[in-house]
Amino acid sequence: MKMSWERFQIALFEKAPEAVLTHLLIVVITVALAILISVPLGVLLTRPRYRKFGVVALNILNILNAIPGMAVIALALPILGLGIKPAVVALLFQSLLPIVRNTIAGLLEVSADVKEAAAGMGMNQRQILLEVEMPLAMPIILSGIRTSTVYVVSVGTLAALIGAGGLGNMIIGGLALFMPEYLIVGAGLGAIMSIFFDRALSYLEYKITPPGVRAN
Amino acid sequence: MDINLVDFFQRNTRTIMEYTENHFTLVLSAVVISLLIWVPIGLLLTKSDKWAARIMALANTIFCIPSLSLFAIMVTIPALGLGRKSALLALVLYAMMPLIRNVYDGVKNVDRNVIEAAKGMGMSSGRIMREIQLPLGLPVIFAGFRITVVMTTGIAAIATYIGERNLGRFIQEGLVRSNTSMIIMGALIISVIAIALDTILGGIEKLVIPKGLRARR
Repeated sequence: MKMSWERFQIALFEKAPEAVLTHLLIVVITVALAILISVPLGVLLTRPRYRKFGVVALNILNILNAIPGMAVIALALPILGLGIKPAVVALLFQSLLPIVRNTIAGLLEVSADVKEAAAGMGMNQRQILLEVEMPLAMPIILSGIRTSTVYVVSVGTLAALIGAGGLGNMIIGGLALFMPEYLIVGAGLGAIMSIFFDRALSYLEYKITPPGVRAN
Repeated sequence: MDINLVDFFQRNTRTIMEYTENHFTLVLSAVVISLLIWVPIGLLLTKSDKWAARIMALANTIFCIPSLSLFAIMVTIPALGLGRKSALLALVLYAMMPLIRNVYDGVKNVDRNVIEAAKGMGMSSGRIMREIQLPLGLPVIFAGFRITVVMTTGIAAIATYIGERNLGRFIQEGLVRSNTSMIIMGALIISVIAIALDTILGGIEKLVIPKGLRARR
């Protein structure tokens, strides 16, 4: 494979910007939907009334999580068709588990003493949840969101297979036509994007962890 | 859309077997190589916190790289090119994170008091590692092995794009030819294998927990 500087420039300056934008769009929509579904679900499954469904729900999500990303994306095509929407739905499936699991883990880890103290101060259940439990569980929930985001960026490259575009387009195109310039630009930007999200979210995680909790 | 899975299966049994075999030899070699490299390194890292942090950061970074990207990057390295060498290297690099982290966590999280007691009985550090830390850390280490196997099985399918003739090939070709039975068949076989491996290894994971630890859960 011979590289040409001109083709490299075309790949980087003409093809890449659109691919990056599409990829970001897929990631942001999927992760936003995943958070909107998973966090309330996690909260619900830790409330006493619904706790018994927790194990069942987690088991189902665990099994779904074992399915390879490529298979999920592929199955989306016959069921949902081509384009960004099927890709988002397929990615959404597997981005739920880390967030639900961490929301549950985070909420269960809040010490009973703290909750009792809050109740003793006259807070009602909702206030305890929103002002005590959620802030304390936030670092763990965010870590789940980080796992999910990196997953979506990663499997998002496969979304190109069902016509959603994004960085995967450049990689698959590059492989099909033996153009290493496209491979390097597409693969490199994909790697940079997911490492960037990982770092940015772990920084946020560090920032919102109260100093007292950080020590242990 | 014309979907006939049974018919597809009957007509393509030989191809399915061939792809499955290729898939498994790739996964097996990747997992064996990963175990041989990463488990000893994980054990070594328990001796130095500084290096553990560095290597773990590296492993995390590699783990973040999209699999299609990593395969593609491997292909551009002249010594590797298309085919099994690139696929193996990428899979082994992915296995680094779950294996090293679980080996490290498993060994490190063994109760300090137990290790103190062993030292008090006059055990050498090598013997403590072999007879105390490894057996007690085994459940966590095995969990890492399980994640590695299931993950490798899934990612290996993507290696079809760099010339591996494995189960991912059905999805790849099915998509190109818009052959729905082929896509569904490919996706189903991979999913069933992944879920089966996960379930079986999950069952074994419960068995390898030492009796003393089991009671506490």
